[in-house]
Amino acid sequence: MKEQSKSNRWLTAVLLTPTGLWFAFMLVLPLIVILVFSFGERAPVGGYAGGFTLEHYANLGARLKAFTNTLTYAPVGTLLSLLVAYPLAYYLAIKVNRRYKLILLVLVIVPFWTSLLIRTYAWIYILGGKGLPSILDWIGFEGVRLINTPGAVLMGIVYGYLPLMVFPIYVSLEKLNKSYLEASSDLGASPYKTFMQVTLPLSMPGVATGCMLVFILLMGEFLIPAFLGGGKVFFIGNALVDLFLQSRNWPFGSAISITLVVIMLITVSLYMRMTMRNSKTGVDESLM
Amino acid sequence: MSNNNNDKPITATKFMKEFHRYQKGSISRRQFLGVTGLGTAMAVMATAMPALLPRTAFAGELGDRLVFSTWPNYHDQANVDQFTKATGVNVHINAFGSNEEMLAKLQAGGTGWDVFVPTNYTIEEYVKLDLIQELDLSKLPNYDAGSNDPKFAGPATVNGKVYAVPKNWGTTGFIVNSKKITSGPKSWKDFFDVTMNAGSGHTILHDYQLTTIGAALCALGHSFNSIDAKELAAAEALLIESKPHLFAITSDYQPGMRSGDGWMSICWNGDATQLKRDIPEMEYVVATDGGEIWTDFYCIPKGAPHLEAAYAFINNFQDPAVQVSDAQVHGYAPTDARALALQPKSLSTDPILHPAAELMSGLEFGAAQTLTDPIRAEVMASFKSA
Repeated sequence: MKEQSKSNRWLTAVLLTPTGLWFAFMLVLPLIVILVFSFGERAPVGGYAGGFTLEHYANLGARLKAFTNTLTYAPVGTLLSLLVAYPLAYYLAIKVNRRYKLILLVLVIVPFWTSLLIRTYAWIYILGGKGLPSILDWIGFEGVRLINTPGAVLMGIVYGYLPLMVFPIYVSLEKLNKSYLEASSDLGASPYKTFMQVTLPLSMPGVATGCMLVFILLMGEFLIPAFLGGGKVFFIGNALVDLFLQSRNWPFGSAISITLVVIMLITVSLYMRMTMRNSKTGVDESLM
Repeated sequence: MSNNNNDKPITATKFMKEFHRYQKGSISRRQFLGVTGLGTAMAVMATAMPALLPRTAFAGELGDRLVFSTWPNYHDQANVDQFTKATGVNVHINAFGSNEEMLAKLQAGGTGWDVFVPTNYTIEEYVKLDLIQELDLSKLPNYDAGSNDPKFAGPATVNGKVYAVPKNWGTTGFIVNSKKITSGPKSWKDFFDVTMNAGSGHTILHDYQLTTIGAALCALGHSFNSIDAKELAAAEALLIESKPHLFAITSDYQPGMRSGDGWMSICWNGDATQLKRDIPEMEYVVATDGGEIWTDFYCIPKGAPHLEAAYAFINNFQDPAVQVSDAQVHGYAPTDARALALQPKSLSTDPILHPAAELMSGLEFGAAQTLTDPIRAEVMASFKSA
């Protein structure tokens, strides 16, 4: 017995080594590099030169608009995705005929097989002057502008992130024991009350996971605002692309990255604490 | 919006008409793809799926691959295909919207590029940073130094060594959709006035510090190349003031101009030719208060993985006949006197390719210091994030 547990432990260590190395080299090390860069100086021709200065952190205000844009669009985009995804997930998990379920699920996944870049490029043509606006023009709404507006960016976000929101919610609704719903209606609850007091609380883990996935990815988004916002709706992601790939101010870019990581750690831990408390009370209420 | 056909997506009949024109050879494959929108779709798909690239059986000593970084709408795809057919080298094209973006990639290292196309003002800095190779002219027999006007070809030589050969020269002005904007703007000052008034919401500026900041500087009566802190602050203020009136900030402005959303844009003269070819109301303006005259070059980065293919590729495009057939598609004039002598009258008398001398007198070549000037870099970045 003892022999075996020892070899087990050894096996565990061996199996964890690749993951450990991966984390050390792909996550910890780059983060340290960025942290060091963020205190350095911009080299005269761009890039990084050594040194120690806090000026890049002091200068964060120069990208205030990017921070406020991201911190507005990310939660709003997450909420919109949730509002669109929940009914779809609910329909797929509870309402739809078993025979079509698989086909419909596949249809939600299929767009993911094409790169987001290409799908977003397609939207440029759909929302551009010769796309939807020309149809609107034809039925009498003249001069409607869709592309390069905040609305286009939000639409792109909901379109691009929908599957990430649908699947966690779908899974939690799928696991939901349907007899709870019958019990609720047997006890005289209206469908609305059943939804609010049974279905919704029980699907909260899925909602929380979906929101987290979408929110975290949105905080680093740059492609959708660049393509559907015409470079006028500027996220932190765009500021970073700019600082690393155009103005070559690596230290300032690093300082913004570190700040973004800190903001994410704070918001995500607050959010987790909030949803964990909520889902706990939710479970308590529905099961007690 | 008006009811003319340019505002509508392509119709089935128009598509078939263009297709037949293409089959008969009266338009090039590139034009066909451009008009129907298939070109963009294919370009995006091809880079996403490298496995679909044709494999040639006779891949010789040049290898089967070449990575080429250039600018949008700057080549006749037929000539690139011809090169692939003749040599077995598949050309993978990356398009960039600014020299600064190219520099950033090369500075970060590991680009895998074999040939790229920088502009006159950057070459000296690339040499200083040790990012490009001295060219072995014996491998470029089609290149004739004597037939290139030194005004254009000069920057290729640094400290007596040749690091580049010229591709094309051109001007940076602006394009106006004269059906939408009827006031006939003539200067950068007019350009920004129209942007903030009658044309509000329909102007495109480049995502490129040199031309966008340069345009604002000219509008304020300063040099296109200024690195004076006060003048740059004024330019930044003008750009930020105009930002709510812009349609987009992008160097790939043809799609926006073609869709009818964009009415006016900072524009390189070749793009103007391409736009006017399909949409006659597009008018190119060399601004009366300044602007840019430039030469683009072929360069080989240090450590290019397919060096022999790179030389073969550049050599192919130094052939005067190839230069002329390329120019007929992209609309930029060659610097090579042999090619200029070969070009048809439609090119040699085209005022977009060869503007009148008095219009060119106010134009400036980009200056080396603008590439690395930290204030210009930050002005551009903070304008975009404003």
